Amino acid sequence: MRAGRFILGSAALVAVPWIVAALLPGQQRYVLHVLIFTALYGSLALSYDLVVGHVGSLSLAHPAFFGLGAYTAALLATEGHWPFAAALPAGVGLAALVALAVGVPMFRLTEHSFAMGTLGFAIVTQVVATNWVDFTHGPLCVTGIPKPQVGALRIATLPAFYWMGLATLALVALLYRGLTTFRLGRAFHAVRDNETLAAAASIDPLKYRMLGFVIGGAVAGGVGALYVSYVGVLCPGELTVSLSVNLLVMIFLGGIGTLRGVLVGAAAFTALPEVLRMAPNWRMVIYGLLLLVIVIRAPDGLEGLIRRGSSLGRRPWGA
Amino acid sequence: MSDLAEQLVHGLTLGSLYAMVAAGLALMFGVVRLINFAHGEFYMLGGYAFWYAYAELGLPYPVAGLVAVAAMGVFGLVYERAVIRAILARTWHVQLIATLATSITLTNLAILVFGTQPKEVPTRLSAAILDVGGVRLAWQRLLVLGAAVAIFAGLEWFVRHARLGKAMRAVSQNREACAVVGVDVQQVALATFGISAGLAGAAAALVSPLFSIFPDVGALLTLKAFAAVIVGGFGYVRGAIAAAVLIGIAESLAAGYVSYAYKDAIAFVVMVVVLLVRPQGLFGRRIGI
Repeated sequence: MRAGRFILGSAALVAVPWIVAALLPGQQRYVLHVLIFTALYGSLALSYDLVVGHVGSLSLAHPAFFGLGAYTAALLATEGHWPFAAALPAGVGLAALVALAVGVPMFRLTEHSFAMGTLGFAIVTQVVATNWVDFTHGPLCVTGIPKPQVGALRIATLPAFYWMGLATLALVALLYRGLTTFRLGRAFHAVRDNETLAAAASIDPLKYRMLGFVIGGAVAGGVGALYVSYVGVLCPGELTVSLSVNLLVMIFLGGIGTLRGVLVGAAAFTALPEVLRMAPNWRMVIYGLLLLVIVIRAPDGLEGLIRRGSSLGRRPWGA
Repeated sequence: MSDLAEQLVHGLTLGSLYAMVAAGLALMFGVVRLINFAHGEFYMLGGYAFWYAYAELGLPYPVAGLVAVAAMGVFGLVYERAVIRAILARTWHVQLIATLATSITLTNLAILVFGTQPKEVPTRLSAAILDVGGVRLAWQRLLVLGAAVAIFAGLEWFVRHARLGKAMRAVSQNREACAVVGVDVQQVALATFGISAGLAGAAAALVSPLFSIFPDVGALLTLKAFAAVIVGGFGYVRGAIAAAVLIGIAESLAAGYVSYAYKDAIAFVVMVVVLLVRPQGLFGRRIGI
């Protein structure tokens, strides 16, 4: 029964381009564009939730890892003429390496200091991306980023990008699921819920925090590389603190630490501005207020509302 | 040589600004153990309050400055009642995200209301130059330095001798014991937010004639002030002030002699180096005011 529904659901998701073409002729481009963004944002939000929701480290460095992957892939593809199949892993690898290098000093910090330290790293990364004009083109942006091509397979049309996004999301969701269940997931949660107790049970908090941080950073770098290959342009403005805020809204809106919650949050978040059609600044005001209200009144998000009636209800971080 | 002296005075001015913001941050942390991510935005709002009072209403400079301080003091009280009280008993994650959300909301509201174009508020003092043996300084900078010294001396006296200041120190040392002996802990927290926000307002009134005011001035300022709080030893107000002045000087020298574009990275680098070498801060570990 469950397997049947799963197969049916997957088939429906894969068939979306044709369904949209049949139901909303003329709107196909726009709807697919929103869906591609939803898939990429969903993947990014899952990678962020690994760090914040499962390991319990409130990192604000995610835009930096996203940006590192994006800039690496973009510059290798435009200046270095690297093929996509090499530029993408390079972006992932560099993001992971930098996460490792940054994590070593950062995890000496606790709580607020860790958040501030990672925020500082994100800001420095953006300052460098803006000012190192010779290398990153600064505010002039990296333009003309080629569409991905792997062998004979060229991803250039909107449906192709949609399938790429969907495949990415499925892959990241699988990774997320694999990392957060089983023994590893329980170790993550032990570290999140009670660091001292975890250490006493010989679960090294630093090791697991680092693992979550580096994997989260690597995935963010990969999403960044895919993102620029879709959009074709990369500006330093993509790396701002507002990306962290967007990610926080997504995971809190949906339900922190839960796969379904984060995906629902990412979908609602990406669809919301498209539905409301408001000016960007009003959008950020509303996101800010939304985040404030959610975190105070309903810290377990939509997922919590769904689960409230059942015995599954839980509150992350004892919030 | 005169170049170096000018850079040092610039650094001291910058350091005074950071110190006034960091002192508020450290006071709040000392009393309620909460980091206010929106503190830089308090400075930003104070700047706009000053701009409105001075440039739009045409009030004389001292009056406009006091208006900014009073407006921010009231804003701090409202903020404590509206946001902080709801999150005080929650985990630090919730507190951090709630104050970060406030900061984003305020920044973008300011963009909507005032636009992104920076507001310049020159005063007579910021245009008047004092020349001491080739070292050229705006009088406004000397006013900032003098006022900062006066404010910190006043703060020190207040915390040591005034009844409310003593209550603040007591709450920072032991909240439960204070409640037991009848200190109104909630009132003390409220007053702390009023004073801290007022300090941000004072900083804005003093330095706005030198630096322009724009909506997202707060994000970097919070970060640098927080760096000062960490470097100075968490919640230790005197340490935070000293560290803020050091960061201001380091940033000014770096801007003058190393690279202007990367000056904003300096505070962060100082913070990381101090954390690696002395995780307890420059002046020892001690939570308290």
